[in-house]
Amino acid sequence: MRNTMVVSVAVASVLAGTPAVAHHSFAAEFDITKPVALAGTVTKIEWTNPHAYVFVDVKDPQTGAVTNWEIEMGSPNGLTRLGWTRTMLKPGDAVTIEGSQGRNKANLANARSVVMTATGKKLGAASSEAAP
Amino acid sequence: MRRIAIAVCLLVLGSTVLGQAGRGVIAGKVTTDQGDPAAGVTVQAKDTAGKISSVVANGKGEYRLANLPAGTYEIAVPQMGLRTARYAQPDVVIEAARTLTFNIMLMPNNFGIIGDDAGFLQMYNKYAGIKGPAPRTRDGHPDFSGVWLANVDPNPEPAQMLPWAVTEWNRRRDRAFEGMPTSRCLATDPTLTLPVFYKIVQTPTLLIHLFEQDPHYRQAFLDGRAHPQDLDPTWMGHTTGRWDKDTLVLDTVGLNDKSWLLQATWLPHTEMLHIVERYNRPDLAHLNIDVMFEDPATFIKPVERHVQWLFTPGEELFETLCAENNKFLEYSAFK
Repeated sequence: MRNTMVVSVAVASVLAGTPAVAHHSFAAEFDITKPVALAGTVTKIEWTNPHAYVFVDVKDPQTGAVTNWEIEMGSPNGLTRLGWTRTMLKPGDAVTIEGSQGRNKANLANARSVVMTATGKKLGAASSEAAP
Repeated sequence: MRRIAIAVCLLVLGSTVLGQAGRGVIAGKVTTDQGDPAAGVTVQAKDTAGKISSVVANGKGEYRLANLPAGTYEIAVPQMGLRTARYAQPDVVIEAARTLTFNIMLMPNNFGIIGDDAGFLQMYNKYAGIKGPAPRTRDGHPDFSGVWLANVDPNPEPAQMLPWAVTEWNRRRDRAFEGMPTSRCLATDPTLTLPVFYKIVQTPTLLIHLFEQDPHYRQAFLDGRAHPQDLDPTWMGHTTGRWDKDTLVLDTVGLNDKSWLLQATWLPHTEMLHIVERYNRPDLAHLNIDVMFEDPATFIKPVERHVQWLFTPGEELFETLCAENNKFLEYSAFK
């Protein structure tokens, strides 16, 4: 019976911190302690399941070298319900993206925020939590 | 992992004198991590005896819980959707004849990935005002047909598990839950319990759930048949249903041991798992589902979950084929 109590306490102490996810664990793929802020030009969109991807050319301001970043977002169904369309971002669009860096692939990140540079419009903004 | 919401809290003791001795008030504003008002979230105050008082925040994210006996409380905001984590702050003292101003900032869950949540609160607030009686089918039973926005249990109780299951759960946690079957485009859990959309199609002899994850459907037989003997274990198992007055009782066996019980906090289980779900629609807007997971080879006592779905008649499901472009195994840090 003593073991039972120990088990219960052990489980109780860890369950509260469990994040919920729709498809997979983002913590396995991205490092929240490594935030990234990228400004660049869209080169490609993958409007696919289970995740959509935006590819962005980012120029290093010091060296001028261009790196193509791959940005992971939610699924098309989730994005659509936030008001996105598959043509909302097009190759050539200038964007600023904030997210977390990938763990296992260079130049991979996820998107917590995508802003159109030209207009300052934030796409799929978190303000969706507010009442309509 | 411990991103539950021990966020910025502003505690200011006010000096409002209340009329009723021995009771106090807690009030404030709930915002997202972006600073937007978190309209429609539930704020709870749980006393030391476990009694919960709750209120729904208004359109400005403001809440007020009045007439609380003076004492120590846990202030919590249950998880709603995938984007914000459950907030919980223990040991909040509410004094008699005073108003405690207690503002809450919710912390992002799941990295706040755009599109992973599909605007849960926006959808929830859009349909929260639906009122009316529960519809009935021609045979007189409550009709559960339609598209629903599900949610997780607002107050999940910790499971009491046998040591092997605790070890397995800790292993999953230590690997950042990378092994969840849906990350490999395998099945979601058999009780359909993520805070996403589900569609129910109900006939007199069959209840069908449709959803945007593999395997995309679940069928419950309402025609009086029994579970087959010697079932081959499967991801979704074999489900039968019977009416208990206005409650539909679903009974599932024949499950493999590969699925994770997502609603029950990603718990493991064996092929002995037996699930009983009780579906009740008290009104047009709500579907209450009580779930019991029984598996004596895993749980010391059955695990229960209690969820409430919201009717969202203006929504529809999307085609969602996970295998189309799943890069998770390539990009995961765990091999």
